Amino acid sequence: MVPAGSLLLLAASPTGTPSVGYGTLAALVVFIVASMWIGMLANKAMQSGTFMKGFFLGNRGLGAWALALTATVQSGGTFMGFPSLVYTHGWSVALWICGYMVVPITGFGVLGKRMAQLSRKTGALTVPDLFRARFNSPALGLTASLLIMFYMSFMMVAQFKSGALVMKIAWPNSGTLALSEDAAYFRLPSQKLPELGFNPDVQSKLSKLVDRDFENETAFTDELKTELAADEFDKLKSKLVAAASPIDWLFYVGLGIFTVTVVGYTMLGGFLAAVWTDLFQSVMMLIGVVLLAILAVSAAGGMEAATLTAVGKTDAGFVFGPGYDPKHEGREYLPLGLAFSFFWVWVYSGVGSPAGMVRIMAGKSTEVIRKSIFLLSGYNYLIYLPLVVICICGRALVPDLPPGKTDEIIPRLALLTTAKLPVGSFIAGLILAAPFGAVMATVSSYLVVIASGLVRDVYQRFVNPQAGSHELRRLSYLAMIGVGAIAVLANIKPVAYLQAIVVFSGTGAAATFCVAALMLAFWRRTTAAGMLAAMLGGAGTMVTLYVLGGIFNLGGDRKIGPVTSFRPYYLFDLDPLLWGLGVSLAAGIVVSLCTTPPDSALVSRLFDAEEKPVS
Amino acid sequence: MPPANDDPVLRSARREAVVVFLIWLAAMVYTVTYCYLNGYNRPVESLKFVLGFPDWVFWGIFVPWTVCVVVSFYFGATFMCDEDLGEELPEQEDELGLGGG
Repeated sequence: MVPAGSLLLLAASPTGTPSVGYGTLAALVVFIVASMWIGMLANKAMQSGTFMKGFFLGNRGLGAWALALTATVQSGGTFMGFPSLVYTHGWSVALWICGYMVVPITGFGVLGKRMAQLSRKTGALTVPDLFRARFNSPALGLTASLLIMFYMSFMMVAQFKSGALVMKIAWPNSGTLALSEDAAYFRLPSQKLPELGFNPDVQSKLSKLVDRDFENETAFTDELKTELAADEFDKLKSKLVAAASPIDWLFYVGLGIFTVTVVGYTMLGGFLAAVWTDLFQSVMMLIGVVLLAILAVSAAGGMEAATLTAVGKTDAGFVFGPGYDPKHEGREYLPLGLAFSFFWVWVYSGVGSPAGMVRIMAGKSTEVIRKSIFLLSGYNYLIYLPLVVICICGRALVPDLPPGKTDEIIPRLALLTTAKLPVGSFIAGLILAAPFGAVMATVSSYLVVIASGLVRDVYQRFVNPQAGSHELRRLSYLAMIGVGAIAVLANIKPVAYLQAIVVFSGTGAAATFCVAALMLAFWRRTTAAGMLAAMLGGAGTMVTLYVLGGIFNLGGDRKIGPVTSFRPYYLFDLDPLLWGLGVSLAAGIVVSLCTTPPDSALVSRLFDAEEKPVS
Repeated sequence: MPPANDDPVLRSARREAVVVFLIWLAAMVYTVTYCYLNGYNRPVESLKFVLGFPDWVFWGIFVPWTVCVVVSFYFGATFMCDEDLGEELPEQEDELGLGGG
């Protein structure tokens, strides 16, 4: 048993890695068991309707809490990278995130009512279903389905890696405290070096490499080459790469447990299981954040004292825009263009998210949509600003975390501030395990959307329209197992740039579907060709800007935004989403006006008031 | 000018969407402008606090966020009206090429 005093010292120390022992593992087990139980409950609840409507849309029975806390909350990404950003760059990250103040009202108030109505009028169960039915265009439905699967596949593969990493770091004494991309870097730990049995001369040469992060194997071996003689390099390379590799048996065990759990409960309960586990983790997250905010402010001696201490350890950039630059290389974390952009990014990623649209379609009534607005408003208010405050206090209490370790700020604060509380270890474990719940919920909801795309939008529409309920059920299960298997295979050699891929998927989907969904809901003159142009215009712009920035390195690193190699080309310092939305809007309007107007009977049915029967 | 026979749900949804768009626009213009003018590139000596927040965070982010929560409550509780979303198309019915099960 580690005494509380030494735990406090460890948590506050930038180099020592404290451990909660079995606390995190216990919390993870709680999450897994709760998720399976929720899956079984959802399985019972969906029995009342037909399989397809129950499995993929929860029989349109979502209540306000379920809709509010799951439709637009960006669970996984928000809570994993965000604390590290605040810790690193300071108060300007509050401006970066504050677009969330209007996410509830925009997420439900712009499209909610109309999407719910149109999906009922058309009997649509999925977003592509709705696109197809609104224009009587199978090609449009298929394109929407393929684009959704394109974005979600990126996200799925990245999220499976996150899930496996959380399992790995939850292992007692794993030496890591938080889920971060850095947990997947190549690193030769100093404690491993003596175990490798090299002679003192080689050990001395390798001392420059220990405890350093390398983005990938090539970067690590390149550095090795410079330190070792050619014959030493050839002889020792494989042993050193194995020792430094982040992907070990624990990662694969984690990947296996994560996959079986998430695919298992999603198969059991379908859409409802995904929504209810999301709700469960959202509530756990709220409890954790509020509790930690109170404890952290108190430990730091108040917010003002925390800010002053943090500024003393950094410079004025920590408290003023464009943000603190820890490497002093002239990087502006949040210049005006990006501050402006992120007010669009969070809002339109919510409005244009296909997974969010499906949940709105599943809402029980307009009353549920209305209530969701104020429930989510309160939730966001209690989550985001307190998270900023927590991490500012974190900079004061644990001031010198090195760049690769800043993701550990929340776990370290959890340990530091709960050490003297009863069941403090378990509370800290819950906070540490929360990202696992968030990742599970995200993966589960994407599994449902991808499986519905394959079974409903492709198989039932194009292969076998007469397929019976039993066959569709079997195919849905097969699709989920197939998607899980592909994600596991893709993670045998895991992807890099986890956070950047998550951002690309979210904003790419928004640029593709946001304008199209608005046109579908509100503009009679929209044509199927206009919809296609809007979707492909938005998607094409996003992909082009990412290819120009990430592959061709156009414009180089403009020293704005976060540091990553998977960066887009920031045309006029704006996020690509803004250009994607602009092109999507222009293409949608121009092509709609240049093509034959849609069938007036179809438009009338979806836009005109129903004539009341004459008594 | 929208056609006179618009579906009532479409009419109210359109009205609400316009109001939401204006709220988003107002929040963005105020917040980004205020924060840029008052929170960027200042010397550390000019730092002042309001209720524990740096002054520009309090007036530029905390206050508008609080206002947005109040506005969202009002919008959801009173401005947005309840509507009948209509009967769902029975499964397998496929007139005009519409959905169905």
